[in-house]
Amino acid sequence: MLRSHFLNMVILSVLVSIFFAFLTQNDRRERLKVMGILFLSMVVLSLLIAYAMFPFPLNTAR
Amino acid sequence: MSSGGVSAVMSCVLAWLLPGAGHFYLGKRRRAAVFFSVVLATFLLGILNGGHAYLADRQQPLTYLGTLANIAVGPLEFLSRRATYHRLVYALPADENSPEAQVLLTAMRDKVKVVTDEYGTTYLLTAGLMNMLLILDAFDIAVGRKS
Repeated sequence: MLRSHFLNMVILSVLVSIFFAFLTQNDRRERLKVMGILFLSMVVLSLLIAYAMFPFPLNTAR
Repeated sequence: MSSGGVSAVMSCVLAWLLPGAGHFYLGKRRRAAVFFSVVLATFLLGILNGGHAYLADRQQPLTYLGTLANIAVGPLEFLSRRATYHRLVYALPADENSPEAQVLLTAMRDKVKVVTDEYGTTYLLTAGLMNMLLILDAFDIAVGRKS
């Protein structure tokens, strides 16, 4: 079992970016480009959203 | 039905039965191998992380979408369903107080208690959604809309 949220996110991003690169492109260079863009977008955007959510409390039920 | 139509239906059925098989049937062998590996890896990560399969529940319409996404991965899905409920069941009985519904809900709650259940369930749903796209892609290739 993988308990690390970040590691799970990276693995899922790798798998999804490989999938879409092969689904949408036929050329090897284009596939690598799409793979890189998708992977970085998913990881960087997730970290930015997580950072933006940091000030919000985890539990408001009191 | 024309030979193209038969080929399209056949590629869709094969794509559902085994991820990537539709592309293999259409001669896209390298792509088929990649799709098979990616979808299988995603699905197995879901199982290993203790993800649960969805049950269609009339009171929660979104569970129908979850169940559909699970089914889209093909017969492989039987593994995750058996791992969650110990049998092949797809819908929660209408009466949630019935003994059968209670057994199913208890089985699901046991899975949800696993700390990595949400990761696992996400992997399982992603594998199903990817295979749905593969079925549509195989159809497009078979009818000549895509190379």
